[in-house]
Amino acid sequence: MPNSIERVLQAALAAPFYFGQILIQKTSTGGFVLSHRDDEGRNDLQTFRSTEDAIDIAKYDDAGNYRPLKTAPNLRRGWRLELATLAELKCALDYFYSGRLDVFVAWKSGQLHTTPLRQTLDRQSGMYRIAAKISDEQADRVVGDFCRSDGGCLRTILWKRDTRGTVSSTKLPSEKFDPDFDQAAARAPSSACAEATADKTTAATIPLLCQEACNLLIAECRKVVKGE
Amino acid sequence: MTSDDSALLIVAHGSTVNPASSAPTLAHTTEIRRRKVFADVGCAFWKEEPSLRDALFLFDSQSVREVYVVPNFISEGYFTQTVVPRELGLKGRTTKRSDGQIWKYCEPVGNHPLMTDLLLRRAHQIAAGIPESETSLLIVAHGTDLNENSAAAAKREAEKIRSLGKYAAVLNVYMEEPPLVSDWRKLTKTRNVVVVPFFISDGLHSYEDIPALLGIANQLSARLRSAGRHTARQANSSHAARGEIFRHNPYAIDNRSLSYAPSIGTDPGVADIIIEQAANFDAES
Repeated sequence: MPNSIERVLQAALAAPFYFGQILIQKTSTGGFVLSHRDDEGRNDLQTFRSTEDAIDIAKYDDAGNYRPLKTAPNLRRGWRLELATLAELKCALDYFYSGRLDVFVAWKSGQLHTTPLRQTLDRQSGMYRIAAKISDEQADRVVGDFCRSDGGCLRTILWKRDTRGTVSSTKLPSEKFDPDFDQAAARAPSSACAEATADKTTAATIPLLCQEACNLLIAECRKVVKGE
Repeated sequence: MTSDDSALLIVAHGSTVNPASSAPTLAHTTEIRRRKVFADVGCAFWKEEPSLRDALFLFDSQSVREVYVVPNFISEGYFTQTVVPRELGLKGRTTKRSDGQIWKYCEPVGNHPLMTDLLLRRAHQIAAGIPESETSLLIVAHGTDLNENSAAAAKREAEKIRSLGKYAAVLNVYMEEPPLVSDWRKLTKTRNVVVVPFFISDGLHSYEDIPALLGIANQLSARLRSAGRHTARQANSSHAARGEIFRHNPYAIDNRSLSYAPSIGTDPGVADIIIEQAANFDAES
């Protein structure tokens, strides 16, 4: 029996769909093909067939640098991942964007709790305790820079700055907080991407939802407080 | 513990700079998932994704009644006692969520008695054919860790293996406090020496720092240069070359034969220990 994530995927697979920078398409034989969304139409892609290949594809960017934030808009290109079953698809997507499908399902079912940035900061201990000293103005700037979709992170922010409901950053466009908006489309298109635009699939999107500031953002707040 | 409504969550540190840090945890997760011991198996990291906070949403409360949380850490300390419980909202050994799901916080991997067998097996494999009775075994930990007990854990393991009387000598050594790993020539008397890092994953310590302290890092660079495979700089910078240090055993150095193993946490046998720690939770309750 398919679990709740597989049911969500089944529904989404009525047509090709985007998940972050990945395009997911169903094949005529019931399998699935994943590729970088900017590689659509290319026929020179390296083919992989194991769910575990997703771990290595997601690990480094095109320049060979380690990707500590998997939802950063720097997924490498040039690959095609062929999978046979829905369970494999779920597993591979979880390797690409760990935890994001679970958070999406929790959000769809009304079970997702969001945590304001101030609460996340106040919870820290050890070397990160000092991050709570960040001012509202500094936090506004850090979040606006670190979390921006064009070069920072493709997640849709659902958390607020504080319990009063203050927007997490005034520096970000309102679409950054809208689960219906395709964050990957917010990037400044590269020339290769622009060339391919004419043949692009019209695809639905499963958003990469962000329910709470990540450890990387907390580390950035710490740096600002310490003046690094 | 039943497989139809119990899940396993493996929690680990992870890293924002070292991709090898999470690799063993991901491998153990995949292996345990393959065995179908649990209805669902996930992992979460302090420094990587999914985060410890994401883990709160990994298991469907409709189908999963119990979640066994096993820390993939070498010892108890700041992370197992402060960070993991805080981030996961654990109230003690057992936590009942508002949706009725029960979370069971198990002992860290490094505490399990099977770690001793794993160390013995790895030491034997890395120096196959070399008589253990003529060999000194060194268990390396970091030392001076902030509020971590890995140094004490390495000492405990060395004592347990020493009591078996298999090796000529068994020593716990540290990178940053005496007895220092860099003093291995003075600390050991046998011709054969086997070194096993007591870490949960490979990384800068096992790839570069300990080899430098042992004096085998330069040997590897020279070998690679003479084989025309890499310059030393290329060898250090390429991802593939980082594990190269483990593929040239034994090292001949100062009339000694030194064998150097990958970190103990990379051993596939850790998957068995993770399952055992979950099973032990109920046995000890």
